[in-house]
Amino acid sequence: MPPKQTKGEYIETDTGNKVSRKSVILGSQNIILGGKTIIQADCTIRGDLRRTVAPSQQSGNVAIAVGRYCFLSRSSVLRPPGRTHQKPVPTYVSPRPPVVQGADQPLLCRTFSYCPMKIGDHVFVGEGSVVEAALIGSYVHIAKDCVIGKFAIIKDCVRIEEGTVIAPNTVIPSFSLVSGRPGVVTDELPETAQEGLECRLPNYLIYNIIYMIAGVQTLTIGVVKNIYRMI
Amino acid sequence: MPPKPRPSEAVAKPPTVLASTVVIAETASLTGTFPIKIGANTVIHPRAKLASAHGPITIGEHCIICERTQICPPDAEGLIIGDGVVVEVNSVVEGSVVGAGSVVEVGLNCKLGPLTKVLEGEVVEDNTVIFGSGQRRIDASGTADARRRLLERHIESLRVLIPSNPSKFIN
Repeated sequence: MPPKQTKGEYIETDTGNKVSRKSVILGSQNIILGGKTIIQADCTIRGDLRRTVAPSQQSGNVAIAVGRYCFLSRSSVLRPPGRTHQKPVPTYVSPRPPVVQGADQPLLCRTFSYCPMKIGDHVFVGEGSVVEAALIGSYVHIAKDCVIGKFAIIKDCVRIEEGTVIAPNTVIPSFSLVSGRPGVVTDELPETAQEGLECRLPNYLIYNIIYMIAGVQTLTIGVVKNIYRMI
Repeated sequence: MPPKPRPSEAVAKPPTVLASTVVIAETASLTGTFPIKIGANTVIHPRAKLASAHGPITIGEHCIICERTQICPPDAEGLIIGDGVVVEVNSVVEGSVVGAGSVVEVGLNCKLGPLTKVLEGEVVEDNTVIFGSGQRRIDASGTADARRRLLERHIESLRVLIPSNPSKFIN
């Protein structure tokens, strides 16, 4: 009988994602994690809410794409936004979906469909936050208990303060500090904001660790690579 | 080795009345002792919690109960959710009557914004919108019918996406 595997709280994937066993991940085949992403307990990711209209060639059936070095805290929720689409009735669909014809509108079909959600690198999502954004750029810090409305677009380097509610369809520009209900841009972040928003250890700390370990053992390229993989 | 029985399965199932067109995810949790009634075309997302420990729950037609919601009636009089109600992610419903088309006693066609709270015993009139940090206004746009049509389309698409397993909850 093989030795019993020790069960930690986290499962680590090949690309270094750490996913808690207690997280709720639905439709995992529609979720892409970039690597080095940490998903804590009780975090809910709704990959099952995928497109129901014909998927485009590029994105396929992906519902949620998360970049590298993201951190999803306890009890946070990621769910793709959905809306009714208006598009010309495809002739090959059978049976035909409900058709709405206005006075000045061409023949349209209206169907509800979820849209894929894209999250960049170094995105932190705080405890209990609900994210239904369409797009979140890189270096975005979402504090705890926030609600990001449907189809919101958040650009790079944004800090969202605790308890903020961002209205649906809002666009938040880069380098902004957002707070309040509804969330508005209250301040600008300095140009150096990116360093403070990184979810990875800063480079100088990595070098410190490498030098620390180098004191105990001879430093080979393999050792340095291992350290980088750990971090 | 068979999987260990989960503690939630040991809890007695409440008597449930589910309409035949209900979409209920397998990981939704229905607990308690009082009856739970769910109307036609209602969607219960995975991990929604309906706890009837203190009173019966009645949910109308064309409702959407999202994940991580908690629906717990406060007393034996029970909790009634009308037709066409959407309970969004992370909501807690402990009120007594929720009117049709809306999302404590809440009237018809109301909308409660994210993170808003309605206090105990409060009555929210028809067509009220509660938003921000407790501001209220009356929605006079008359878009209730349009919203209802959108909701029905939403439910149609969820019917495709959420694998339903009502047999687990029928006893």
